[in-house]
Amino acid sequence: MKELLKKLNIKEVNAGACSGQDAWYEDPEGQELVSYNPSTGEPIAKVIQATDKTYDQVIEQAVQAFKSWRMTPAPKRGQVIRDLGQALREYKEPLGELVTLEMGKIRAEGLGEVQEMIDICDFAVGLSRQLYGLTMHSERPAHRMFEQWHPLGAIGVISAFNFPVAVWSWNAAIAAACGDTTVWKPSSDTPLTAVAVQHICNIVMADHGLQGIFNLAIGRGAVVGERMINDERLPLISFTGSTQMGRRVSEAVARRFGRTILELGGNNAIIVAGDADLEMAVRTILFGAVGTAGQRCTSTRRVIMHKSIAKELTARIIKAYGQVKIGNPMEEGTLMGPLVTKAAVEDMMAALETAKKQGGEVICGGHRLEEIGGQFVEPTIVKMPSQTEIVHNETFAPILYLLEYEDIEEAIRLHNEVPQGLSSAIFTTNLLFAEKFLSHEGSDCGIANINIGTSGAEIGGAFGGEKETGGGRESGSDAWKGYMRRQTNTVNWSKELPLAQGIKFGD
Amino acid sequence: MDIDISLDTPIEELVKSFPEAVRFLSSRGVRCIRCGEPLWCTLEELLDEDGIENPHDLIQELKEYIRKRGEPAEDSK
Repeated sequence: MKELLKKLNIKEVNAGACSGQDAWYEDPEGQELVSYNPSTGEPIAKVIQATDKTYDQVIEQAVQAFKSWRMTPAPKRGQVIRDLGQALREYKEPLGELVTLEMGKIRAEGLGEVQEMIDICDFAVGLSRQLYGLTMHSERPAHRMFEQWHPLGAIGVISAFNFPVAVWSWNAAIAAACGDTTVWKPSSDTPLTAVAVQHICNIVMADHGLQGIFNLAIGRGAVVGERMINDERLPLISFTGSTQMGRRVSEAVARRFGRTILELGGNNAIIVAGDADLEMAVRTILFGAVGTAGQRCTSTRRVIMHKSIAKELTARIIKAYGQVKIGNPMEEGTLMGPLVTKAAVEDMMAALETAKKQGGEVICGGHRLEEIGGQFVEPTIVKMPSQTEIVHNETFAPILYLLEYEDIEEAIRLHNEVPQGLSSAIFTTNLLFAEKFLSHEGSDCGIANINIGTSGAEIGGAFGGEKETGGGRESGSDAWKGYMRRQTNTVNWSKELPLAQGIKFGD
Repeated sequence: MDIDISLDTPIEELVKSFPEAVRFLSSRGVRCIRCGEPLWCTLEELLDEDGIENPHDLIQELKEYIRKRGEPAEDSK
């Protein structure tokens, strides 16, 4: 472990506020935050959390840096992001392993997360030459009308533990291409990966003579988080977390007429039709429900299966669950690591108790695995008689609820009945079912897939969801527009002053 | 065993120091953890939001529960 931390410049005690290589801010009043390995419960290292004073230093740097960064031509900004992508390639293995060490996802997923950072950097480099605005034909002669996209400012990025580095990169790489600077508040459960990423950013910024483009402020939500959402110096807050917190963030930012990008809770389902390829469906359900120990926003939480195949599909899923190796996430062959905290384990057990009270039958798993470690649990399947209140709630754990349906209309009704709307899928070989699922009366989610699962999105598409998922979009497609301000311009190159709508005024 | 929990306790601190509080409060319809992360508010704010009428009594019960939970969890395999 020491070797890994050394490679990433993680010390026993680390400053938690930074704007660049020579700008790590420390305040003796800053409280210590200990990061624990969820597999063993042992401490890894400490971070001194940002105080009001160091938070302000970071914000000032980000605001200051924005003034020159916005005037740097976008393709030049792209070169900095290209170098960030290169640096991440060099650090992929240790950074991916630190993700695994600190939050517990298996090593392959840790490395995959860093690959996602690299991919979004590549995307942002291309984007830096494609920040297009439209040109419109003016109704007035000898007038030119068009729109431009301008940088927005210093952007607050508040990320969660489950994707401790990828979600930051979705925001930071795109924001940097758009001419914005970012201030990052990572989850208090994963401060070390954030410190490691900041070190990498610092190297890249220093190579280009820059500071304050990528900034860090580690601290509790109630302290740093609250300051950020109420800070008028941050015109946009990109928040990833729960619906309940998203509501708080949204209200605070709206009060000051700031903008938000919200990526909140999901309650993702896979519909398995009677004609589906069950082999493919089972593999997908396993990855979706058990991968990252059910702690992805896009984890599969519900399977809505046709009555005709329900018995067989259930048996196959249970068999697949039986083959899941649970244990040290660093070890080859492990498919499921621990939950992130002891509190998360308690939350899972509480949800199972409630599910049972609401008529649910635990048909697989349901226990802690304390012989491996205090935060390991069995992936669990609960057969529900109907879509009760607990199924409407997202529990961030490997709990899969099974439901049955009679016809496609009922399947879609059950699917859309929950308040969240992030990701969705149907397994079917029936073209009509597939098209119906993608149609206006089909899935109400931001992501809807045919014959692939709910999780494992690529960076090229816009990521986000509807309803209580918050409506924000991050990552690919045209999500970049959320990080810029649109300006409509009209230029009169005639010697007349015609008014729009043909209005005559004082002629 | 000294259990330092009051209405002013931030939820982020509560779940770190006393993770077992999550289960007890959940049984009373109060969820501290969402998407795997604690809410940013204080215990008072959360109890108020969830319509708990006697928060002081609930905190006493919570402390008692935590004292008893020193024993191995009943759901261990």
